[in-house]
Parts: sequence; structure tokens; C-alpha cells
Amino acid sequence: MMQQDQLKSKPQAIKGSRLWLFALLFFLLLVVVGLNLSYGSVKIPLGDILKVLTGQEGVKESWAYIIQNYRLPKIATAILAGIALSASGLQMQTMFRNPLADPFILGINSGASLGVALAIMGASLAGGLFVPALNAAGGLGLILAASIGAGLVMGLILLVGKRVNNPTSLLILGLMFGHATSALVSLLIYFSAPEKVKAYNIWSYGAFSGVTWEQLHLFFPVILVALGILFFLPKGLNGLLLGEDYAKTMGLNVDRLRLLILLSASILSGTVTAFCGPIGFIGVAVPHIARNIFKTSNHKLLIPAVILIGAVVAVTADLIAQLPGSQFVLPINVITSLFGAPFVLWIVLKRKRGAASFNV
Amino acid sequence: MKKILTFLVTLVILLLPACNTLSVLPDAPQAVTYPVTNPTQSDSAEELPITDPEEEQVSIDYAKNFTLDYKDGYKLLTVSVPWMGATESMVYALVPEGFDSTIDLEGVTVIQTPIDSIVSLSSTYLPFLEQIGELESLVAVDTADYIYNEEVRHWASSGMIAQVGSGPSVDVEKMIELNPDLIMTSATGMAEYDTHPVLEQAGLPVVINSDYLEQDPLGRAEWGKFIAAFFEKEAQADQLFDEMVQRYEAAKALTSTITDKANVFINTPYEGTWYMAGSESYAAILLRDAGAHYLWDDLEGTSAWPVDFEAVVDRAKEAEFWVNVGFANSLSDLTAIDSRTADFKAFQEGKVYNNNARVSDMGGTDYYESGVANPDVVLLDLIKIFYPELAGEHEFFYYQQLGE
Repeated sequence: MMQQDQLKSKPQAIKGSRLWLFALLFFLLLVVVGLNLSYGSVKIPLGDILKVLTGQEGVKESWAYIIQNYRLPKIATAILAGIALSASGLQMQTMFRNPLADPFILGINSGASLGVALAIMGASLAGGLFVPALNAAGGLGLILAASIGAGLVMGLILLVGKRVNNPTSLLILGLMFGHATSALVSLLIYFSAPEKVKAYNIWSYGAFSGVTWEQLHLFFPVILVALGILFFLPKGLNGLLLGEDYAKTMGLNVDRLRLLILLSASILSGTVTAFCGPIGFIGVAVPHIARNIFKTSNHKLLIPAVILIGAVVAVTADLIAQLPGSQFVLPINVITSLFGAPFVLWIVLKRKRGAASFNV
Repeated sequence: MKKILTFLVTLVILLLPACNTLSVLPDAPQAVTYPVTNPTQSDSAEELPITDPEEEQVSIDYAKNFTLDYKDGYKLLTVSVPWMGATESMVYALVPEGFDSTIDLEGVTVIQTPIDSIVSLSSTYLPFLEQIGELESLVAVDTADYIYNEEVRHWASSGMIAQVGSGPSVDVEKMIELNPDLIMTSATGMAEYDTHPVLEQAGLPVVINSDYLEQDPLGRAEWGKFIAAFFEKEAQADQLFDEMVQRYEAAKALTSTITDKANVFINTPYEGTWYMAGSESYAAILLRDAGAHYLWDDLEGTSAWPVDFEAVVDRAKEAEFWVNVGFANSLSDLTAIDSRTADFKAFQEGKVYNNNARVSDMGGTDYYESGVANPDVVLLDLIKIFYPELAGEHEFFYYQQLGE
């Protein structure tokens, strides 16, 4: 009942007091992007950074290169990945009405991991495939391998999603697929040379800095299309949150809705995993942060909210991972979990209503 | 009732290990002890006696992780650092056939020499066996997949020698059947990865070789004497080693007067992170001895550090040479790993070299195999890269220049 009231009150809320929250978040995004651009392993004065950005001459050549070809694509990747994972996580949490759901709950990243593991370590079985695999499709080999893996799982999920009318079956499918793939990956690791195992491990740490401008030409449009699907779904997601029966009484085609959600969420998370490796935590944490800041479960608000917050969180995590001032760098997953877990814990404990938005 | 039962079960579980050690001890190989004086206490008095006066005493000059001591009628090999962070050393008493005294050193594994058969669980032991003409003593390897030596690969594929794997799931049954005089392996100190505990439990003669921890190339090559000692051929290994050291020092001397050193960086980026070897590592020492300036010689220690891509751009974009580039066989392999590698000066000028000129179909790289025994050849390869005019007639052996 409470939620129905909440939903009904939303239209006014959007126009009203929450607008400034969006403005604040956008400003915050600009700040962390600015910080990420100016602080890195290499110390570059702010004046020189501005010169590069405005296309002026007279900056040390390697610095200009670092800004143009390293920091800018890295920030763009972080923003896109943060948005995609958060949006995907929100959809999964709503569809399964489970606060613990994340973008990878359907086994999308297990598929991607298996694809990459086969590309890197399958060489031990098939005889020197690794470099050819990397070389395939003009340096997109690993991305291709991950996409194929994620795509196969996605196809399987959509197929099952069409047949079953119970989301729990999908959850179990994802879980089982995760177990099966991790067993296969373990088997590959067991029979592989240490340096290949290390290459796979590094991939599994996740990173935004491995994505180049050329790869962004592919990354960006795919994310955009999948996000585009999401923008047609807020009404349906709101309906699902109240239960499938309720959604049906609202006149929603629940089966079609579920397929669209699966499609959008799988493309979003699968693409990020393909380009950046499995990035944990953002997808599960950001929707919670959004619900708490905006104190709503209305997806008309939540979708833009997770998009902004996701971008802020990802760029901030990357900023910390670069260990500004030192020449070393930490894996992004370490940062998201290490800093993110206590933060979300604090938010959840602070919130009085607990997981009310899930009807639990 | 339930509580009492639980208590009893817990008690039994707690007591079991104690019983185990008691019952297992007499069978363990360490327990074969002979009464002889402790070496550390009697060092001052014991300079003189060796059984065979004609036998040369071989000294260990470069390796830091093992010692060879000649005792009264037997030899003591001590691996002081059997794995990284090890607190205790491994001691092996090499007793010749017909040795009739007894040794009562606690925790000493006794091996009867000369051995006739050996199981090698690392490809780095193979070149040393070959050097002293004992490759045919090989009865099993861990896996032939990552071995470069063609002969050994042929033996393995034709079933003349066994492949037994490694780690806790090593094929113990096969080893018992083979009954080798010696099994040589490396160890990590972590039971879930190590091979030697299960072998020792089965009463098999295991020796731990920690050559890979040795960072000085000459020190690593000196482990040839360690292996040879079990065949009683350390004098032969010593002579070969001395000759190699002379060649190494002569090559090193070629670049000693160079003041304008070539700038070089190593490895490849991976997902935006670049692993750079510490300045005390094997690779860094070779670069230094080749007269090059390794751009990350400020990194401490022997392990690799994760360096940010942009830090590498800042320091190495204009560097002249780029070596040891992982899996890459060509420049296009590098751009496949990261297209931004093409913007480095070394790439654009084609001065990228990798140590994988000799690789088997499955990926066994000879640089990591026979290169361990022949650091002088590795060094000359590097000198030829940086200062071709100094390398004379030397032809590339382990290294190759990457083409398109």
C-alpha cells in the first residue's frame, strides 16, 4: 500500500525538490572528472591540461599524449561502464524484486569469463591460440571472445525467459551456469602455464584503462542502444516492483516486458565485461545509493539517478585506483569493494525503512 | 548426551594428528639417520678430511640459496632458501655407495649417490642434465608441453619417459612404480600447491631446487653444480661453469666503458597496467650487465610492480629499445594487446626484441630453459641488440627482432 502511495505522488516530485539533487550530482560528476583528469601517476600542471583540452600548443609531447590517449578514453570508459552496470543492476533488482541482485546474477559475466579463459588459456589445449586470439578482429580478440560468451548466455536466458513464467527459474539458471563455467575455467587454469593464468587473472581484476579510442567507437553506441531500451521501461519496471499480477492488472504485457529488461540488462553488463573485465560491486551498490538519496522507488526518477550516480562512483573509484602521485596502479575491483562496501553498509543501516522498496 | 558425544568426537579429532606423526615418523625418509658429528659445531676442526683425496672440492661462488660442504666421506647440500620466505633450510646428505659410517643429523634427507635415474619437475633442470651427459637418466617430467628440448619432448610423446604432473595431485602411483633415485622439484611453501609433501609421505626421495629464486644470472646457472652433485659430477659441472663465467665476464667487459647508455624498457601493458621488474631481478641484472640503462632501475627488489600506463608513457615513450615483450611474436601482436603501443619510439623504429626466438609448438620457451644454463649467450644477445658493433660475430640465439 505504502508503495502505491509513493508511486502516485511521484509526478509532482520530479518537477519539484529533486531537481536540485540531479543538478548537484551532475556538478559532482564534473568535479570527479576534473580531478581524474588532473591527478594521475604523472604530475601534469593544470595549465598544461587546459592547454591540451583546448587544443593549444606548447605542452610536453608525452603529456599531451597521456591526456589525449590515456586519461580521456579512461574517463569516458569509466563513465560508460558505471552507467551501464548501475542501470543493469537496477533492472535486475527490480525484476527479481531482490536487493542482492546484480548485473551478473544471470551468469552473463560467467559466459564472458569462459570466453576469455578459452581465448587466453585454451591455447594450452589447442596449441598456441593466444596471440592469434588477441590478434583477431584487429585487436578486439579478447573483447570478441567475451562478447561471444556473454551473448551465448544471454541467448539462453532469453530463450528460457520466453518459456518460463517464473523469474526464480531464471535465477537458478544463472546460478547453475555460473557454477558450470567456473568449473570449466578452473580446469583451464589447472592445465595452463603460469603466465597465461596470470594474464587471465589480470583480466578478471577489471580495468578501465585498457580501452582505447578505437574500442570506444564500438563500446559507446552499444551502451547507448541498450540504455535506449531502458528509457521505454520505467512504467513497466514500476509495475513489476509491485508484483507481476499487479503489473498485469495495469495492462502491461509482462512477458514482453521481461524480455526487454533481460535484453537491455544483458547487453549493458555483457558489453562492460567484454571491454573492462568483470567489474564488481557498482551494479549492486549504486541502485541502493540512488533509492536512498532520492527516497523513491519510482523508476522515472531512479533510472536517471542511477545513471548519474553510477558515473560518479566509477570515475571516483578509478581516481583512487590510480593512486595519484605514485607510478603504481591498483585493480579497480579492489577499490569498488574496499571503499564501496562500508559506504553501502552505512547507507543501509542509516535508512529506517530497510529494504521496503522490495516489499520484503 | 549429545554434548558429551560432541566432546568425545572433538577429542578424538584433536588427538588424531599426534598419533599420526608418531606412527608415520619411522617410515619417513628423514628418519633415516646416522650418528655423525654436527657440522656447524665442528667446522673449525674439520678442514682436512675427504675420503677421496683426488676428488676436487667444488666451491659455490655466486648462488646465494645453496651451499655444498664436503664432510668426512659424504657431501652436505643445504638449500638455505627452499622457497620465498622460508624460515628453515633443507639439508641433503649425499652419501656414496659403500659409505659405512652413520650420520645423525636431524631433519637431514639422505640420498645415495651416484643416482642413476631422476624425475625432473621443472624444465630448468634439463640443460644441466644435458651438460653433464645425464639427460638419459631422466625417467619422468611434470609435463612435456612447456619443454623446449626436442629430445625430451620426443621421449615423452613416444612414452619413453613418463609425464607425472605436479602439485598435490601429482601422479604418486606412477612415481612409486618408476622408483626413481631422485625427484627434483621447486616448492612454494604452501601445501595446496606443493608437490614434495605428498611425495615425501609416499617415502619417495624428493629434493627441492630453488634455482628460480636466484636473481643473479650466474648464481642461477650455478645450480648446475647442485644437480651434478647427485651424479657425483660436480667437478665436471664446475669446469663448465667456470668457462661460462669467463665468457660472461668477457661479454660484460665489452660494455664497461660505455657512458652513453641505451635506454630500455620491458614487458607489455595489460588492461592499462604495465608490470615492471624490480631492479634486483634476473632480467634487470642482465640488462645492466649488457650496458643498458633499464628505465625502471629505481624499483626495489626482485618482484614485478604494477605501473600505470601513463607513467610508462612519460618515462619510456622516447626510449630507444623495448625488450622481453611477453607473448608477442610481431609488432602487430603488440598493437593487438594495446593499439597505443604503436606510438612508442622503439616500436616506430622497429627496435623491439623478444626472447622467444626458440619456442616449441606448445609454447615451451628455450630462454627459460637452456637460457638458465647459458646466461653468457643471453648477455651477448642483449649486447648485440644495444651495441651491435661490440657483439662481433655473435648471432642472435634466444632473442629475435620483431617484424611487422
